[in-house]
Amino acid sequence: MKRFFSSITDGKGFDILLVAFPLGYLFLMSGLPLLYNVLMSFQEVDMFSLGTFWRPFVGLKNYRDLFAQPETLPILYNTGIFVVASIAGQFLLGFGLALFFWTNFPGASWLRGLFLVSWVMPGLVVGAIWNWILSGDFGVLNFLLRETGIIDGNIFWRSDPDFSLWAVIIANIWLGMAFNMILLSVGLSAIPKDLYEAAELDGANAFQRFWTITLPMMRSSIGAIISLGLIFTLQQFDLFAAITSGGPNNSSNVTQYWAWDLSFRQYDFAKGATISVIMIVFVMFASVVYVRSTRHEVRG
Amino acid sequence: MSEMMRNRLMLAAAIFLAAIYLFPLYWMYITALKTGSAMFATPPQFWPSDPQWQIYGEVWQSRNMGRYLFNSLVIAFGAVSLICVLGVGCAYVLARYRNVWVDIGLFLILMLQVLPASLMITPIFVGFSQIGLLASPRFAVILAIAAKSMPFFVVLVRATFMSVPQELEEAALVDGNSRVGAFWHIVLPLARNGILVSAILIFMQAFGEFVYSKSIIQAVELQPASVGLNSFMGPNTNEWNNIMAYATMYVTPILAIFVLLQRRIVSGLTSGALK
Amino acid sequence: MGIRNLLVMGAFALASVSTFAVSAKAEDVTISVWSLDRDIQPAPTLVADFNKLNTGIKVEYRQIQFDDVVSEAMRAYSTGQAPDIIAIDNPEHALFASRGAFLDLTDMIAKSSEIKTANYFPGPLASTMWDGKNYGVPKATNTIALYYNKDMFKAKGLDPNKPPQTWDELLDAARKLTDPGANVYGLAFSAKGNEEGTFQFLPWAQMAGGGYENINSEGSIKALDVWKTIIDEKLASRDSLTRGQWDSTGTFNSGNAAMAISGPWELDRMLTEAKFDWGVALLPVPEAGAERSSAMGDFNWAIFANTQHPAEAFKVLEYFVSQDIRMFSDFGQLPARSDIAIPATGKPLKDEALKVFTEQLKYAKPRGPHPEWPKISKAIQDAIQAALTGQMSSKDALDQAAEKIKAVLG
Repeated sequence: MKRFFSSITDGKGFDILLVAFPLGYLFLMSGLPLLYNVLMSFQEVDMFSLGTFWRPFVGLKNYRDLFAQPETLPILYNTGIFVVASIAGQFLLGFGLALFFWTNFPGASWLRGLFLVSWVMPGLVVGAIWNWILSGDFGVLNFLLRETGIIDGNIFWRSDPDFSLWAVIIANIWLGMAFNMILLSVGLSAIPKDLYEAAELDGANAFQRFWTITLPMMRSSIGAIISLGLIFTLQQFDLFAAITSGGPNNSSNVTQYWAWDLSFRQYDFAKGATISVIMIVFVMFASVVYVRSTRHEVRG
Repeated sequence: MSEMMRNRLMLAAAIFLAAIYLFPLYWMYITALKTGSAMFATPPQFWPSDPQWQIYGEVWQSRNMGRYLFNSLVIAFGAVSLICVLGVGCAYVLARYRNVWVDIGLFLILMLQVLPASLMITPIFVGFSQIGLLASPRFAVILAIAAKSMPFFVVLVRATFMSVPQELEEAALVDGNSRVGAFWHIVLPLARNGILVSAILIFMQAFGEFVYSKSIIQAVELQPASVGLNSFMGPNTNEWNNIMAYATMYVTPILAIFVLLQRRIVSGLTSGALK
Repeated sequence: MGIRNLLVMGAFALASVSTFAVSAKAEDVTISVWSLDRDIQPAPTLVADFNKLNTGIKVEYRQIQFDDVVSEAMRAYSTGQAPDIIAIDNPEHALFASRGAFLDLTDMIAKSSEIKTANYFPGPLASTMWDGKNYGVPKATNTIALYYNKDMFKAKGLDPNKPPQTWDELLDAARKLTDPGANVYGLAFSAKGNEEGTFQFLPWAQMAGGGYENINSEGSIKALDVWKTIIDEKLASRDSLTRGQWDSTGTFNSGNAAMAISGPWELDRMLTEAKFDWGVALLPVPEAGAERSSAMGDFNWAIFANTQHPAEAFKVLEYFVSQDIRMFSDFGQLPARSDIAIPATGKPLKDEALKVFTEQLKYAKPRGPHPEWPKISKAIQDAIQAALTGQMSSKDALDQAAEKIKAVLG
């Protein structure tokens, strides 16, 4: 018994205790709900049987039905575009800003702080603001584009199937840029300055320095940011609800919104759960990328 | 080009970029002040001809915003406290070792936050109702938010612990400290900044949380400001100026605190506290 | 003591510190009411008035959002947390009634002196019925008609006292009134991909001899073609596809649309915001003399089957019904009653509009009732959106919808 206590204050037991509590908590609060979703995807779920676990099993029927629906593939395709475009936009703009502020001029740190504002804003509010900005006839974005001569007629961002997905992507890039910029700034400031000085002595130009020093040194930050970004992007729900509701005609529908729509608008809980299982597979992939990226970390 | 010129140019460019970036925020403030018909005017007014300042008082009064904001604060503080208590130790251990168990731990932590809150709420609601947690809804929401935000917190704080030199901890152990002592007196103080900053970031997220609060908290006296905002929105209730006025009062306090603290937040994040 | 009891006790202890104490007399029965009405609308006002009467019944009110009514109610019902009384959108009433989630009120209504089924319009009443029994009472009713801007009619040489009667006249008027230079569209309506789209489209299909049971009839296809013409010729904003009725009518109020299709819930706002002379007309029909039709909207009151206090809950319902006379004057809503003469409000535009809406209401048809209405409605919304975005022809889109609906109807 004494050994047990001393292990807790002074050995492996201490580590295990520190990890076990949060993991147990997460398992209860996130793991069980996740399993509940997985379970539902193999069952016939009735709107009034939500409160129980014992429902008739139907095997893979929900999966077969789902892939028999004509909208499934386009929605998966939209999800792919949404994820890739959002992450690319957030990352490139975030990286650009991080490099820009890294050059360190008077006021840089103050102004950089302002770029965190979108992080502070509740998703609901961001959705409402962008809905209003992107509106076709009264939207200020169309007005600005018209005035600057970029477009002739109004673009119906929310209602034109060619643009609706991009409307949400624009808002999402705005929302996620801050997060990317700040974490990339962190990564940049961790690169030892003397590396650059040495490279400069060797005659490397700015581009070569970026390519041979900055990028390789940032590898672990970039891996972490992209995989976290993937998770955040797949969780993005408020913007869809506020801007396009997945429409028109599913042109801006993505899995996370569709799963909710099936569950709570059409009361087809089993199919909603089935989609969430497909998403879990997606994120599993992201988690592996993240964990692998941590292998390159250098302990300070 | 002189140093001075360069600095000025960079500053001008930075201000220009910030202006573009902050435009949506500006538009929120300006829409709140417009009259019903000015909102739909084309071309849009970039400064309302007839600013409706009284809208703030009206919305504050009619929506009982003081109560909503108080509830948001309670929920955000509760969630952040719980996350800190549970998450710091976890992040510390995950930063201390480098083996396959840590990989599995990190993997699980990320995996567990895969689904959006809108899909997690049904099972959580069912579970909470079965153990009677719905009787104290704000507490239930705190529990749910803590689970939602903890993975992100752990990832951030783990990075902070990575930057604390392991030699310091080992030296403390050699000096006869216990593991608890070394953690408490040496490692934790060194990581304090990063933890604080991560906690602030989580706080701001929790302050805006919506999906869980909406479904779990049914009594209007206990609902946070996000739910209050949502009650404006609906097929027959889209009053953009009121929505924006509400949103303004909702986010301005946190924006203000943020702008005041932001240098510390940003430097805390960038100057090695969080690597 | 089991772990579960401990948890419950712990939760209880937390609850007692974290919730405000509700002051209620010990003998009071508490009845909870959920509806989507907010502060100035009927439900919370009536609840407050009822609580002032001190009947020994205390009513607690919770507002829920339109989009959340059904999902919140289902979740609550399946976990035993349902309220006693709920206001439910009429096409979704059957979903709950058919599954026995709502209390059968037939006997109570038969004995009631306040609630008499004969007093109600047949459409709203039918939406509360399932299998010949009463599972609720209509809360209010509404329908849609055509609002038009008389000043703009005059300016474009149209007779402000002769609003369009037929679809062709509507298209003609819209073409004349549309003025892109002045940012004016001829018409504002909603083809949004939710219940609002179905609500606005079905009357058009019904007037042309279609309906949800035969959504791909010739008339329905013609109706959808007219909608497509309106969008393609830019007679209405393309954002009609993602904009609800309230937002669309907002553009009418601000003078950016010359006509709008919407319901009486717009009246109070229009009175304060519209700075022009306007009128309301019956929905145009396919051709002169064609059958009229309209949509029947609004919510019903129902009592959940697992209520602990059915008698008290019914008393609360009776009180709500007794206040129906105030619906129009206080809240701008139409009671679903044929026995109530709505008193004039003294505002000429509003009283004029009331006449048209009361007339239009005679042709209003309920959606369903069918327990799987959301799926039927979704098929119709998809067809509307596919056709209006040009991804399918009206016929193909409606054929597809008909097939989906057939699968639901069995």
